[in-house]
Amino acid sequence: MELFSQIIVNGILLGGLYGLMALGMGLVWGVLNIVNLAHGALIMFGAYALYYLFSGLGLDPFVGLPLAMLILFCFGYLLQRGLLNLIVRSALLNTLLITFGLDAVFAHVAQLAFSADFRTINPTYAGNNFQFFGLTIPLARLAAFGVALLLAVLLWLFLGHTRTGRAIRATAQNLTAARLYGVNPRAMYALTFGIGAALAGAAGGLYGIVSQFTPYIGASLTAKSFVIAILGGLDKPLGVIGGGLVLGVAEALTALYLGPTYTDVISFGLLVLILVSRPASVFERA
Amino acid sequence: MSAVLLEIAGLVAGYGEAPVLSDVGLRVDRGEIVTLVGSNGAGKTTLLRAISRTVNAAGTLRFDGHDLSHLTPERVFDLGLVQVPEGRQLFDRMSVEDNLRMGAYRRRDRQGVAQSFDYVYRLFPRLKERRRQIAGSMSGGEQQMCAIGRALMAAPKLLVVDEMSLGLAPVVVDQLLAVLSEVRSQGVTVLLVEQDVFAAFEIADRGYVMETGRIIREGAVAELAEDAEVRRAYLGV
Repeated sequence: MELFSQIIVNGILLGGLYGLMALGMGLVWGVLNIVNLAHGALIMFGAYALYYLFSGLGLDPFVGLPLAMLILFCFGYLLQRGLLNLIVRSALLNTLLITFGLDAVFAHVAQLAFSADFRTINPTYAGNNFQFFGLTIPLARLAAFGVALLLAVLLWLFLGHTRTGRAIRATAQNLTAARLYGVNPRAMYALTFGIGAALAGAAGGLYGIVSQFTPYIGASLTAKSFVIAILGGLDKPLGVIGGGLVLGVAEALTALYLGPTYTDVISFGLLVLILVSRPASVFERA
Repeated sequence: MSAVLLEIAGLVAGYGEAPVLSDVGLRVDRGEIVTLVGSNGAGKTTLLRAISRTVNAAGTLRFDGHDLSHLTPERVFDLGLVQVPEGRQLFDRMSVEDNLRMGAYRRRDRQGVAQSFDYVYRLFPRLKERRRQIAGSMSGGEQQMCAIGRALMAAPKLLVVDEMSLGLAPVVVDQLLAVLSEVRSQGVTVLLVEQDVFAAFEIADRGYVMETGRIIREGAVAELAEDAEVRRAYLGV
């Protein structure tokens, strides 16, 4: 029983991070109707950004995290303004192709720039735990979970209760009317993609704190984010975090009962199921 | 301040090769309700797009003393030329209140926006009751109220209403027409674009009849209603 509760706790802590990974992807998908296959690569860039802020500048990872987010925000904003705005309303295949290409380019650039070595962001407190009703809680994972939750709530408040957030939702829901009432859709798209990239950056940084990473982590994280974003409901931040928790717990239980090598079967199995059973509802939204 | 709010003359507009509109002229004075009627495909929507600068046009296009020919759609909107689009085009998954807020998206005067909220809620008590409801879940008439309310939130000088009556019950159309009269009495000029000539003639002062891209009749609605051609083609009598 104790083992079971521990596994559930581990799954929940991991699931929060999964949710954060999918948050940016779901937002971009829901608002721009772009399934960003380079989303995992942005997460990877976030991990390296925080790695160099930590090991190069000596910043505490949780202090450096907002900076890593800012870097990724600027990168995402410029990417949308300079490139993706050209294809934002074109056929789905175009956006899939171009983001697939970006994913490959990003991974290889990262390998040239950062080498293919395994890295991890390793502050002095990385291994610290504390006991809570007989459960072992890793401090860094708990903090990562807290940050993920905080960012989801902030995103939810931003979308629901600010002027710009409303304009972003308006653009997503009815482009014609948004333009008619003075919203500039391209500015909203760039801002949204920037926010999506910043969230990916945060997820990447936290991933780097709790796990090892290489330039090639992107593809599998894109697939996981894809599944979670669908489970959670794209531009519903709290739903997406919920989707992350479901996947996190499912993976933890799989590791316990079937063995750790089978964890990816869950996410990729879900991916296949979703694509086979409801491709229309996945791709013919908006 | 000139009495003329909107002035269109010699307007040619269209998509690609063949112009949809040829030599269209139309005038709306301050405080008027003017209606533009015509059957489906007559070019009414193209004319509205030319006015809001979302389709290219040649000819005279003046609004409130400004030449519109070189302005962006956003600038035209900022001048106070606001549309209630055909098919309402609400933000379906947003609350009524958020839809209204989006109408005031470009406005920075908080006090003025608060007054507009009061004004819209007084015109449409139903919208106030339903302000937290998701706009897409309301009835057609309520959605049209929301669309008109959203446009009023932009503090328009000229309210352009496109096919308001489409798909609505006659009793609802009458309510909405009464609201437009009320809006006019508050100093907002109205251009009502309609297929439903009966409805439009109920409240308008003057009317224009459009057919295959041209204005074929214009005048006071009382005269138009007596015109043999108009009666035959649009009133079915």
